[in-house]
Amino acid sequence: MNSFSIFEGYPVSPGTWDEMYAAGKVRSPYQGIYEFLQSIPLEELNRKEELAKRLFMSQGITFTVYSSGEGIEKIFPFDIIPRIVTAAEWDSIEKGITQRLKALNLFLKDIYHDQFIIKDGVVPADLIYSCPHYIREMQGVNVPHDIYVHIAGIDLIRDHDGTFYILEDNLRTPSGVSYMIENREITKRIFPDLIPQNNVRPVTQYPNILHKNLVSLSPRKISNPTVVVLTPGMYNSAYFEHSTLARLMGVELVEGRDLLVDNHCVFMKTTNGLQQVDVIYRRVDDDYLDPLVFNPASELGVSGILSAYRKGNVAIVNAIGNGVADDKAIYVYVPEMIRYYLNEEPLLKNVPTFQLKNKDESKHVLDNIQKMVVKKTNGSGGYGMLMGHAATDEEIFDYKKEILKDPRQFIAQPVISLSSAPCYINGKMQPRRLDLRPFALCGPSGIEIVPGGLTRVALKEGSLVVNSSQGGGSKDTWVLSA
Amino acid sequence: MSRVADSLFWMSRYIERTDGILRMLKINYASSQDNTSEFGWKPVLNTFSFLDQPTVAQIEMDSRSVLQFMVIDKDNPNSVVNMVTRSRENARSVQDHITKEVWQCLNEFYHLVRDEKLSWSLKNEDPITVLDALIRQAMLYYGTTEVTMSRGEGMCFMSIGRYLERAIQATDILKVKFKDLSADAEKMADPSYWKYFLMSISGYELYLKNYRSGFEAKNILDQVIFNISFPRSVHYSVYQAQRYFDRLKSERNRDSFDKVNFMIGKLRSNIKFSNVDSIIQDGLPNYLDKISLELFSVGSALNQHYFAYS
Repeated sequence: MNSFSIFEGYPVSPGTWDEMYAAGKVRSPYQGIYEFLQSIPLEELNRKEELAKRLFMSQGITFTVYSSGEGIEKIFPFDIIPRIVTAAEWDSIEKGITQRLKALNLFLKDIYHDQFIIKDGVVPADLIYSCPHYIREMQGVNVPHDIYVHIAGIDLIRDHDGTFYILEDNLRTPSGVSYMIENREITKRIFPDLIPQNNVRPVTQYPNILHKNLVSLSPRKISNPTVVVLTPGMYNSAYFEHSTLARLMGVELVEGRDLLVDNHCVFMKTTNGLQQVDVIYRRVDDDYLDPLVFNPASELGVSGILSAYRKGNVAIVNAIGNGVADDKAIYVYVPEMIRYYLNEEPLLKNVPTFQLKNKDESKHVLDNIQKMVVKKTNGSGGYGMLMGHAATDEEIFDYKKEILKDPRQFIAQPVISLSSAPCYINGKMQPRRLDLRPFALCGPSGIEIVPGGLTRVALKEGSLVVNSSQGGGSKDTWVLSA
Repeated sequence: MSRVADSLFWMSRYIERTDGILRMLKINYASSQDNTSEFGWKPVLNTFSFLDQPTVAQIEMDSRSVLQFMVIDKDNPNSVVNMVTRSRENARSVQDHITKEVWQCLNEFYHLVRDEKLSWSLKNEDPITVLDALIRQAMLYYGTTEVTMSRGEGMCFMSIGRYLERAIQATDILKVKFKDLSADAEKMADPSYWKYFLMSISGYELYLKNYRSGFEAKNILDQVIFNISFPRSVHYSVYQAQRYFDRLKSERNRDSFDKVNFMIGKLRSNIKFSNVDSIIQDGLPNYLDKISLELFSVGSALNQHYFAYS
């Protein structure tokens, strides 16, 4: 063993769940990697970090950040130390997400059909109709197999006692799955043999399961339906992911301009004439999907695609209008939905959430704003958030004004500390906060969750925001087999 | 000159085999890191080495030993280091018939694979980095021959060697893979088994695009034997070998040409006018054995009619 330990002086902040340490001792699932890291010299760890960076660059695993009108290719920061999820933890996550997703699918079907949940007074009608992501055009539309959410990226965080909480449901176009796959490929390279030694479950099957599900949604009952991935184009920040998924599934990656609608069917323009498209995995938001119905200025979508969808001539994944279910104001009601549709108690808890449209709750939040995180109900990517404990008086003052303009647009949650895990930063192990986004796939044969996910880390010291647009990075996520 | 033709033929064959082995090793190693059920090196060892079964059983679970055996072990006649050495020996004797660039490329390959740092890395670091560096050198060879060699008789013999070797490899791999399977129905249904197999012959992406219904043994046979747009299929390789052989036609060597031409033509027709259903009906092992046999007899006919200079 080295005389100098890279874990020396690793500070576990009080009141925080650390993934690796419990009361100064290494948790048993981390024992293997801990010993390995202790056994290699620092220079080798630096070399591994270099190798990881080089691999990301040479494979073009980059995203684009826009600043001053110019797109810059960047590597999504990757921390080489894997995050470990035990078999028991995974079991409860898997069950909890499966349950939640079942309820959310039933909710979407209900909202766009009979609306029993509103009639029974479980969810208030105004909350639904005031949601900007509620799509009136979807009312009464039947979708294949009644599946609305085919791909969900539900974010989980851990409180100081290690309990997992659902932070948000991403049911529209969740991204990050390519990082789940690529991070694992990189870890195989930088830590040879460590994965088999630790009995880590594989994640490479994700594209195959997704492809199988997409094929099974084809409205035409033919042996080889045409499946495509629809991307906003190569300037989109997640373009790498779109092209990776298309390649790993062996399907065409298309842009809006590659498609057209004729006689309520969608076609792809090919060198051999038009080819009918059966299933579209779209990574374009609802708003931009069909300029005839939604944003008329959109050049990313396809005119008439909604009519083809409503006629059942094409399957669109995820369904249109899912935003009504992952709206942060609706989030509050998900535990109720689970009880209402499934007659079960929720297995995974929500983070306590205050709705600012309610007077009492609003007062409580504004009085205790230092201890709150305030978010926009339709926001994402960590934009437009107020972290009460870190904000200046001026920021709080301005934000309060915003809230009072339209309280429906805001929710607040008490600051949850988020669990921490060791990251290799500047030649030392340092604790950083993280979350977990497993990817659940829902097909006609049920819900499958690939054992793994995207672990996002807030790389700034003390930061609680893990979003990549806010200086977040990621880790490989190891789910251990029992 | 016959001697020259012989050397060029083998120079090329050895690099083709090297490339095939390296890719196979890379993907198999990657799959060993994926912790998939019951990974083992047995199929690779059975395809590319002459080890007896007890020895195979001894090392088949140990990736590092297999990699060292297959890449840098001088006692293994089929190791990369030995094949590159042989290719270089062949090139050395015909330096005036290959371009300076090709010779330099093989020379670099030889020194790279014998580099001690490389063998240390293969033992202690990320093997994929090492295998990638070697594969890149093979790619450099292909590119350099393509861009610098004149399109004469020499290039024809090199190409025939390359494609004959490729066809033999494809057949051998299929024999081992499907023999392995007949004993194990569970593997037959395991998607990751097929996925890694296709990746190891650079055919995974093509397969996904062509066959939409998941992994089926029949479709895999179809791609690896018959698909003419798959550059590692038996059919493509035989077709290319035939094309290059055609260019050797000359009045002076009429008899020899006709004999070998007949054999290649017969082999090609045999593939062209079969399909997966017909070969399964006849028995896959029989069919593959027959193809192998014909490939080998083309090789020995070339030897007899073109290279024999004693």
